[in-house]
Amino acid sequence: MSAQVGRENVVLQSLAQIGACGLFLLRILAALPRSLRHAGETVRQLWFVGAMSLIIIMTCGLFVGLVLGLQLYYVLAIFGGTSATGSVVALAIYRELGPVVTGLLFAGRAGTSITAEIGLMRATDQIAAMEMMAVDPIAYVAAPRFLAGLIAMPLLCCVFCAMGIFGGHLVGVSWLGVDNGTFWSNMTANVDLWKDVINSVIWKSAAFGAVISLIAVFQGYTTAPTSEGVAYATTRTVVASSIAILALDFVLTAFLM
Amino acid sequence: MTDPVHAKPDDRTLVRIRGLTTVLSGKTVFDKLDMDIPRGKVTAIMGPSGTGKTTLLKHITGQMRGDVGEVRVDGLNVPELSRDELFELRERIGYLFQNSALLTDFDVFENVAFPLRQHTKLPEVLIRNIVLTKLQAVGLRGAASLTPSELSGGMARRVALARAIVFDPMLILYDEPFVGLDPIALNQVLKLIRTLNETLGITSVLVAHELEAIKQVADHIYLIANGKVVAQGDPKTIADDGSPWTRQFFGGDADGPVPFQYPADDYAQALGFKQGAA
Repeated sequence: MSAQVGRENVVLQSLAQIGACGLFLLRILAALPRSLRHAGETVRQLWFVGAMSLIIIMTCGLFVGLVLGLQLYYVLAIFGGTSATGSVVALAIYRELGPVVTGLLFAGRAGTSITAEIGLMRATDQIAAMEMMAVDPIAYVAAPRFLAGLIAMPLLCCVFCAMGIFGGHLVGVSWLGVDNGTFWSNMTANVDLWKDVINSVIWKSAAFGAVISLIAVFQGYTTAPTSEGVAYATTRTVVASSIAILALDFVLTAFLM
Repeated sequence: MTDPVHAKPDDRTLVRIRGLTTVLSGKTVFDKLDMDIPRGKVTAIMGPSGTGKTTLLKHITGQMRGDVGEVRVDGLNVPELSRDELFELRERIGYLFQNSALLTDFDVFENVAFPLRQHTKLPEVLIRNIVLTKLQAVGLRGAASLTPSELSGGMARRVALARAIVFDPMLILYDEPFVGLDPIALNQVLKLIRTLNETLGITSVLVAHELEAIKQVADHIYLIANGKVVAQGDPKTIADDGSPWTRQFFGGDADGPVPFQYPADDYAQALGFKQGAA
């Protein structure tokens, strides 16, 4: 009986969190026009969540491409189809691995830092101080970080995809001897600009960016103002973002395919 | 007909609280509380820990709203103001947080300049001059390039004070301004509060426990407990009014109207003894 009540409480709390997060999104959207006054802050956040994430995104993109090229080469070799290595690497990266892995990395690198920063601002009364200085913290703190995540994710995803394909090329062409011309021509023949690049890379990663930034900002803004509260909020950001990315990936793929 | 939100400001009273009742998590924090804060004076609000002194400041600034009652600041009924009206009012109020609440991303100069940059389009030269003037007033012009993490507690409090007075407010609210300060820093903050009040005519409200410090700076003291004002008066005479509240609070007695024991179930029962067994 008590276990059932506990489960119901968890479900109700989760639904309440989702509802509160939705209302918070509305507050951010309403504050967006006012946040344009703080364009400098948005650029600063773009630097922190975007430019500062480049190293990890490039490194991981390269290794994903390397391992993908290696795995696919040996699988395709069974069927005598190693010439398709380039196109299969590109499709796997564009359609799934690029947006999803970039999203997971972005949640771990930028999402946690956004939550911890806002959480500490809350714990040290900086948010309250802004309110007292008649500065709207939603417009000054939340909206610029949300916008920065929305803009940075597609750009980071493009970088990830480029590095991934470069990695696949390194393994396939430079190491395992796939013909360079075949690698590129198969890729360009099979990759569709609209379906694979615009829909899968740009729109999907923008949606992931919006969701991750929203979760990160919401968790930071509503955290309990204690060190334990900030730690929990940071963990929740990673867990909720990861689940949201994978669930949203399925939904978007179903619609975009 | 009188506008219930925007009444004509009273010349002598800047903050007028009438019948304020607030219940938080089932606990009555304020029970029909009445209070007047006179213009141009330093008023101290004292009381045992947990009696809602900081909460009262939050009511004055509109960060919290009571369940019943009126909180008027310069004629404006704060609980009924719109968000824009509230922000307009807050531009005329300075608030010194207990932990200073400096923005950690910025250095001292930018912390003081922050309200100016957000609310004005003043040229950079003018912003620089205003900020340096305020920092000079609190004795920290030389620390303009330091970051908040490089400041001592007393210095951070003074920077926060410079930021609070950057718009020359009509009212400054100090939340525990002396906590954690050494005697030198405490006297510096005391001197600043008095100087700001005397030279600029700023109305000041202090929430503090340090009676000796309060005696030096305050014109009037309110002692609140159990959600009401239990004593008020001149700092030099308030302790002599003879009420059990003032006797316990200013005498520092461990037990009295404010009990030593937090309300709890019967002690013998809690230890597992049956009533009357002894």
